[in-house]
Amino acid sequence: MVKPNFAVWEVFHILALVMLGGGAILVGLRLAGAGLKEEAPSAVYRGIGPILTVGAVGIVVTGLLIGAANAERLYDSAAFTAKMLALAAGLILTFGALRPVALADGAVGGGAAAATGAGLVLWLAATVVFLTGGLITPGLFHVLTAAALVVFATSRGRRRWVFVGGVGVILAAMYAATHVLIPAGDLAHADPANVALAWVMAAWIAGAAASEGLSRSRQGQTAVGWLPGIIGGATILVWVTAAAAGRWIAFA
Amino acid sequence: MIRAFLVWLQTGLGKGPGADDSSWSEALLGSLNFWSLLEGTHLLLMMLFVGCILAVDLRLMGVIYRRTPVSLVSRRLLPLTVAGLVLMLLTGSALFFAKPLVYYHNIWFRVKMALLVAAMVNIAVFHARIQRRLPDWDADPSPPLAARSSALISLSIWIAMIVMGRFIAYNWYDCGKPQPDVINALQECAASEHGAVPLSRAGRAGAP
Repeated sequence: MVKPNFAVWEVFHILALVMLGGGAILVGLRLAGAGLKEEAPSAVYRGIGPILTVGAVGIVVTGLLIGAANAERLYDSAAFTAKMLALAAGLILTFGALRPVALADGAVGGGAAAATGAGLVLWLAATVVFLTGGLITPGLFHVLTAAALVVFATSRGRRRWVFVGGVGVILAAMYAATHVLIPAGDLAHADPANVALAWVMAAWIAGAAASEGLSRSRQGQTAVGWLPGIIGGATILVWVTAAAAGRWIAFA
Repeated sequence: MIRAFLVWLQTGLGKGPGADDSSWSEALLGSLNFWSLLEGTHLLLMMLFVGCILAVDLRLMGVIYRRTPVSLVSRRLLPLTVAGLVLMLLTGSALFFAKPLVYYHNIWFRVKMALLVAAMVNIAVFHARIQRRLPDWDADPSPPLAARSSALISLSIWIAMIVMGRFIAYNWYDCGKPQPDVINALQECAASEHGAVPLSRAGRAGAP
């Protein structure tokens, strides 16, 4: 009867992911100046905080149950390594940085700054494993699209639509490169083209985020500086990275 | 008639002139990474869609953000929720397009679609009836029973849909397996390419 139990744990794993996602999105977007912006970040955290905590505990407990059932497969999986690094980064960023910074309404103390540094380094490590993990590399596209959504949700005015237009052009270029310019099945050429365009997209997203942050600090809209926005965005994306790596354990 | 349409959708639509050419549906399913990315995106979008609707419904139930007006939570979180829902429907439709016949004869998928309809009806009822009186209770920590019930129904349906969606991947009740008549009937196994095998033939089919 392992299979039905396994399926039930997976359901609870997904429910925990949903709680983590909702909590990280609400608090993370608030720190980046979007979402429930009429409420103070501390009020946003107090409302959803318990759900975030239950989600984090739930994801670890159900993850252990699922992992124990196919440990042999995970041992050799690059996606699993990326996922564990992202999990560590996610826990550190969520409870070491996002939580104290939100509760202090955007003020970043020494501990939170250290946690941000540690979390970002671990997240970078997770991304490098994901990027160099061979067959799992395409899964990083989830992180790119999620980053694009975060930038879309937090940017304003004309800058937002210029950003969307740019993403559209890059996606169209990806399609054209791999379906029109390079014949189907010619992976030797399609692969580098896809990778190059993914880097262009990453640069476009990072540039748009930086430009939004710069414009806000120039207008004096961010009394607390740009670091809370980075913490908010990174906390959302690190959980997306963990979830994407988790899904690609099964794909690669 | 539905099945005939789905057979055409899976094997006919977009098929080239050669015998070995694939239809668009087969090409999507056979793609190197695109199907996996679609499926992964569908799953990850739950963080956005269900994560946000969880917050909205819990506010309506008077559990969280009790001091924030319902209208404010809706104004800020519903755009995120709707964006998530639209993207989930798009990726879900594309995933269905890749294997229409498998899903058509899958009991979990059928229940999931019935739940989706129920969720839409619940949303329509909320907008048509309950939300009209919103100004009266907008700032109440605990909204009236009708609003709380609607939110509880909404949350229950979405969670049930997650369960169904996850179970689609398991082959417990695949057509062609010896199984109770009611399941064969609910999945219309008799019309499927694997047929309907009743439980009484379990021994002959080599099952334990």
